[in-house]
Order: sequence, then structure tokens, then C-alpha cells
Amino acid sequence: MTEASMHTFEIRDYLRQELMPHFMCPGCGHGIALRALLWAIYELDIDKDRLAIVSGIGCSGRVGAYIDANTMHVTHGRPLAYATGLKLARPDLEVIVITGDGDCLAIGGNHLIHACRRNLNFTCLMLNNEVYGMTGGQVSPTTTVDRFTTTTPLGNHEPGFDSCKLAAAAGAGLVGREITLQVPALKNLIKEGINHPGFAFLEIISDCTEIYGRKNQLGESPEMMLSQKASTRSDVYRNTVDQPFRPNAFETGVLARNDRAEYADNYRKHVEKTMDVLKSGD
Amino acid sequence: MAKEIEIRLSGSGGQGLILAARILSAALTASGLNVAHSQSYEPTSRGGLSRSDLVISDGEVDYPLVTELDYLVIMDQVAAHASTGLLKADAVLVIDSSRVTSPPKGTFKTHAFPLTEIARKLGSGRVANIVALGVLNGISELCTSESFELAVDDQAPRGFRELNLKAFKEGYTLATTGKAVSAPVVSLA
Amino acid sequence: MCIKKRPLSHSIGELDYDPTHLNLEVYFLPPAISADFNRNRLSVQGNHACALAAVAAGCRFYAGYPITPSSEVAEKMSEELPKVGGIFVQMEDEIASMGAVVGASMGGVKALTATSGPGFSLKQENLGYASMTETPCVIVNVMRGGPSTGMPTRPSQADVMQARWGSHGDHPIIVLTPASVDEIYMETVRAFNLSELLRVPVVLLYDEVIGHLIETIEIREPAELKLLERKWTRAPPEEYLPFAATDDGVPEMARPGDGYRTHTTGLTHGENGFPTQDPEEVDRVMRRLLSKLDRNRTIVESFELLECGDADIVIVAYGITSRAARRAVKLGREHGIKVGLFRPITLWPFPQQPFAEVAALARKVLVPEMNAGQLCLEIERLCSPPSKVSRMNRIDGEAITPIEILERVKALESND
Repeated sequence: MTEASMHTFEIRDYLRQELMPHFMCPGCGHGIALRALLWAIYELDIDKDRLAIVSGIGCSGRVGAYIDANTMHVTHGRPLAYATGLKLARPDLEVIVITGDGDCLAIGGNHLIHACRRNLNFTCLMLNNEVYGMTGGQVSPTTTVDRFTTTTPLGNHEPGFDSCKLAAAAGAGLVGREITLQVPALKNLIKEGINHPGFAFLEIISDCTEIYGRKNQLGESPEMMLSQKASTRSDVYRNTVDQPFRPNAFETGVLARNDRAEYADNYRKHVEKTMDVLKSGD
Repeated sequence: MAKEIEIRLSGSGGQGLILAARILSAALTASGLNVAHSQSYEPTSRGGLSRSDLVISDGEVDYPLVTELDYLVIMDQVAAHASTGLLKADAVLVIDSSRVTSPPKGTFKTHAFPLTEIARKLGSGRVANIVALGVLNGISELCTSESFELAVDDQAPRGFRELNLKAFKEGYTLATTGKAVSAPVVSLA
Repeated sequence: MCIKKRPLSHSIGELDYDPTHLNLEVYFLPPAISADFNRNRLSVQGNHACALAAVAAGCRFYAGYPITPSSEVAEKMSEELPKVGGIFVQMEDEIASMGAVVGASMGGVKALTATSGPGFSLKQENLGYASMTETPCVIVNVMRGGPSTGMPTRPSQADVMQARWGSHGDHPIIVLTPASVDEIYMETVRAFNLSELLRVPVVLLYDEVIGHLIETIEIREPAELKLLERKWTRAPPEEYLPFAATDDGVPEMARPGDGYRTHTTGLTHGENGFPTQDPEEVDRVMRRLLSKLDRNRTIVESFELLECGDADIVIVAYGITSRAARRAVKLGREHGIKVGLFRPITLWPFPQQPFAEVAALARKVLVPEMNAGQLCLEIERLCSPPSKVSRMNRIDGEAITPIEILERVKALESND
């Protein structure tokens, strides 16, 4: 894809415009994540008819409905389970899961680690805004320590998950992270995830300005995004020694790669082997 | 009402009673009868009381669980008195006298043979269950030996085929003539 | 168990669907036993019969989680599905199994899962989603003693109400309750047919006794099974409304990849599939959803009558208890007692009209159940006066015997 053709990406071609205006709050990072996803789909030339978006419950779960594709808005925490069934039954579909930090790491945590372990060929975008936004701003498994939410009136006392380390440890084919300020980088990361022949887990650092930002006086969206940028350490600088100077940095880019067998491929081979044994008569 | 016959194979876990019941069930099915086969499902698979029940009918089986046994096979002392309450007054008992020291007493028709011992002489104590089936069929003539052979092919491990068929024949001859072909009859109760 | 395999004419290919998409050749085993050995009669365990019937009905996806006493369904599916190009997957939990089943069905493939009481509870959330999104699927619940872990290896009939009302909200659901292994086979096929045709989840509810029972069954030729398929839409995409009512109240479905690009959500949605909270629209779409079974009662309801014509005493029984009742009726008739049996095969929606006709002629109704009294509530509701209904319950993990029922029938008769 050349630089020139980037300009021909028109987001309206991929949106259900009859659903506008959308429900997202001003300043919400989810819209930027949606744009990056659609841009990646455009550049990969994925047929909208063959695209299946499976999303869970919460603000992230509502994002899927705006995409002009086969969209399934399923139950809370279960999009990875539904996607597993859908992808196994219909390998011809390009399946992409959109989930959130609560959906994916709390109620759906078991499905995440097993989706990573299975390594079935689909992509999971986890929009991490550190909070349960749709239910009014309760603490989530990624809420920063000491921050205020409606269920941590004295500040959050629980440590959070590093979802990428979790996914990598559970064996995901590809693991990556990006912030919404870096849209081209995010788009490229999503492309890499979709292209990876296995399960790709991508954490997108989004922001919830309206509820979480306001409650913690984190400023408006630009301030929140800039503070995210300040705490990232791109994989470009992976080998430089800046850790002592930026102790709170989190890494972005492709964080782990595991080229082991893809689930459906493996299943097929096992079945063929079994059938050969059965056919040989014993 | 179509005539229903109730059979229980009982003994200790690991004696192959479930396999025996499956073979018998397949043989009866092959003979054109309808069979309902149930068994105790317990977490243990070795030792302890084990049982397999068959209710057979030439029509539809009404109630598939046993209520009044026509035939009872007892392969181990542990099972000797577990089924007494279910026996018909004229029930037929097949007892492995190698392992049952005190069989149920009553008006039953008892056929006791040292089944395990006979099986060992045939080549393996593990086919005592099949010898028992042979005895049972010798008494009851519920299925043909052809259908039994098909059932063995269908249900039992192939490596045991010849031994199983020999064991069945041995049991059948025991019951019909009172004489063992390849092993001596030790006792008749 | 060696079973004669025959090509199934109703593979995914017949559903206007590319069977090679899995890159799996469709394999068939040579007959393992001589062809004249009861070609169509087999001794099969109930749970295995369910799996064999599912495959025969065109099921090509199974997701499950091990639980006694249903695991044999999964085991058999893991053996059979690969042979026909289907997919078996053991998921991380009961919830994921149900999710994967609904996901596969949204992709257009017939899907099955099996469980028992505690697992059935976990499946209820996604089962509700299937009800709401009108996604066909079949769920087997082999009932064991409860509540909680209860008695995993002992039978019960205590999920009668959970099967109907276990999920949240008003929702349509069909519950079928076979009473023999042969009936498990036929009702499994019917479960897929009803689910596909009406776009309603169907629960196959049977007790541990029937699930583990091995009985002689007839294996039907595929043509005899009269398989029904989902109504796939052929409307032009720009005119198509995924949840618009048709004559029978069941909307036509669009398969992903066919150019419709629909939205499916568990949120209350309008005819276009998108969320709505407009009271008028919500009322209309919810009434249409809930009316599907009423409008199709004649094909959903199934029951059996035994000696009900002149019966003074009618027994209402299902599952293993109905087998005891069947013998009790025959024994009772031998004693000159005018006793009959009404056996629902479709448990929900309960065949209320046919039952009401039988019950109106009876002076007494007896409801033996292996629970503390569940179906009797529905029976009392349908009988006038309700006081003519007697309950008979066992909750000790043992089946109710024919003699026990006969004794109660005799007592009811002599109490006049």
C-alpha cells in the first residue's frame, strides 16, 4: 500500500451511516480505535461481506455496530467464545473481536487465556480505558492504583493486569499494544495482527475522558492522550536503556510473537491422521 | 403384555461384567429381541460391587430397570446377597463357586460351577465372565450361538476372540451336559 | 460400538454451503461388522444415540465441557464429527461452550452442546442470547441429583423448571423429554428440526437413567428423518429486514458472507436488528418473538396417550418415570382399574389442550416425578378442580418403580 492510496481511505465507506450520530462521548478514544481498525481493513482489502465483528458488552462492545459488516454484539465477556465457534464453523470469514478491559480481563478472563492457548486464527482488539464506562465508572482490572472510580471512593487499592504479558504467557500467536494518539502505528499494528496466522491479541490504550478523566482530574482528551504518550516506550527503543529514567513506561508495538501451529490447521492434521488410521482398517 | 425377562450379572468391579452384559445384549439384539441394559455407575472401576442389568422383550420394553429377576449371575462373594430382594421365587442363579462361598438360599434353581477356575484352565481367568454367559445361555437358550459369535466380534477385543468363543462353548456345554469339555467339573451345587 | 456408516445425504453441502471449506474430506468407514448383522438395529447408550442422531440431523459443530452424566454425548461427537467434516471442540468452561455453539450457529452451521444441571445453569446466559437473537441451537441436559453438585451419578427430574425458566427475562424455549433410547434418537432429530425451523433454542431434557441406558434402536435412513433447514433469506439485501415477521412469525435468516451484513444483538432490537427502546416497537417485536411457539403449537407439541379413553385415573409422567407408569397402567388394567397415561414428549410448551381434554374426563390425576414437585404445578393449573391432582415424588436418587405407582393408583381408586 503506497502513501498515495492512504488518502483514498474513506471511513464513511465502512460505517453504517444510518446509525449516526454515534453514542460515544466527546473525547472518547474508542472512535479513534475504530478508525484505525477500518483503515487497516481498507488497506488489507478485506471484503466487508466476509468480515465478522464480534463484540462484547460495554462501551467497546457498542463500537462494532457502526461497522458495515456482519456484526455480532454478544454477551458480556464472551465474544472470544462466540468468535471461536464462528471461526471454527466458518473459516472463510475474517473474524475480529472488539472487547474492553472489563469484558476481556474480568468476566471474560478465562476465555482470553484459552483463546491464546488455542491460537485459532482471529484477532482480538481490547480497548483499554481502565474503567467500566457504560455502567457509570466502576473500577476495572486495569485501573491505575490510587485512581478514583465509583467503587473505589478512597482510590484503587488493587494492582492491575498487564494484559499483554498475560496473553504472551498464555501463548498468543501475536501480542501488541498501541495508544490511540499514534493512529498510523495503531493501524499498522492491527494489520499485523490480522495478517498473523494465529490468535492475535492487541491492547489499545484508549481513554475515557468523560467519566474516568473527569473523576481523576486528568484533563480533557488531548491532555489524557499526551500523558499516555509520555508513558509509552515504543518497540523502536526496545533496546535502549531508558528504563531507569522512565520507570512507569509501558511498551508499545509488537511485544510477542509465537509461530506455533494454528488451531484449525492442527485440528485438520489430527483428523487426517486419525482418518488414515481408520481407513487402513484398524 | 409382551413377556419381559430380567437378568442381572453381578460380581466385583474388574470382572468384566459390563463387557459381558454388552456382549449378551448385542447377541440378544441379533436374535431379534429388544434389550434394555443398565448398570451401576460408580466412581470406582475396580473392586466393590458391580452389576449390569438386562431387561429383554420380544416387544417394546416397558420399564427398563429390573424389578424381579428371572436370572442372576453371581461372580463374587461381594455380590452374593446384594440382589436377594429382587429375586423371583423360581429365579435361576448361576454361581461362580470359585469365588462365591455362601450363595443365596431359597427356592431358586442354582447352577454353581468354578467358573474362574475353568476360565484359567482355558487360558485366562479374565474370561470367567464369558464362561458364565455360556452357562446362562445353556440354561436359558435366549440367543443362538451364531448371534453370540457376531456379538463377540462386535463388542469384544479382537485378540480375545478365539478364547471368548471357547469360553462360551465351554460354559454352554457345562450347563447342558454338566460336563466340562476341556476342564473338569469340580462341583455341582 | 461398531456402527455401520453410510453417506449422509444432508451434509453441509446440501445447505447451499461449501463442504470443502474445512478442507476435510468426508470420510466413511467400511462396515465393521457383516452387513446382515442387524443392519439397522443397534444396542446403543442413550447419550451415544443423541450424538449419532445429531450427526444424522446435520449437526456439524459441537462445543462442550465434561460433566457427569452427559459426557458420553461429547465423547461420541468427538469421534463422529471429524468423519463428516464437522468440528468438535472442548471449551474452557460451560459458558464458553454455549457461546461457541451460538457463534457457530450464527455462522450457519447446526450446533449442539450437552451438559447436566450445574453446567446447564452456567449456559443459561448465552441460552437467553440465543432466544433473543433467534439463533437455532440444541442443548442436552442429562438430569442428575441436585441442587449444586448433588449426586452426579444418580438420576433426577429436577430441572423441569430450570429448563423452562432458567434463563432471564420472558423468552421462548422448547423442551423435549424423550423416554427411551430410540426416542432420544428421534427427538434429537426433531430438536434440530424445530430449532432450525422456528429459530428457537431447543433443550433435550432427559434423566440419567435414560442417558446411560443401552437399548435397541432403529437407525433410520436419512430420507426417513425428514430434515428441516433454516429459512435462509433470498430477499434483495437492500430490502431485507432480519427480524421482520413472516406468516409463521419466524424471520428469515441471513448467513454471514451472503452479502446482507446484518447486526445481531442481545439488546432489544427492531425489525432491522438494531437496538431500540421505543415502547411501541419493543412491544411489537417482543410479542412477535414470544408468539412463535403458540403460533406453531401443532408442530411443536408431542405427546403419547395410553389407555386414556375411559380412564378414571390419569397418570402424567415423562422420562424414566413414564416407563414405570406404562407398566403400572398395564398392571392396573389387569386388576380392572381404569387407569391411563398421558406422556408429554414436548414438555415446554406443555401440550395443554390435549391434556385438558384427557383430564376433563378423569376423576383423578397422578403426577409421579423424581423431584419435589415441578411439573405437577403445571398440571394443577390445567385441572379443574386442582384438588384432583395428586403428587408422587422421589428425591433420593432412585427411580420410581412400577409397583410404587400401582400402589398409589390402587389407593387413589379405593379412596372414592
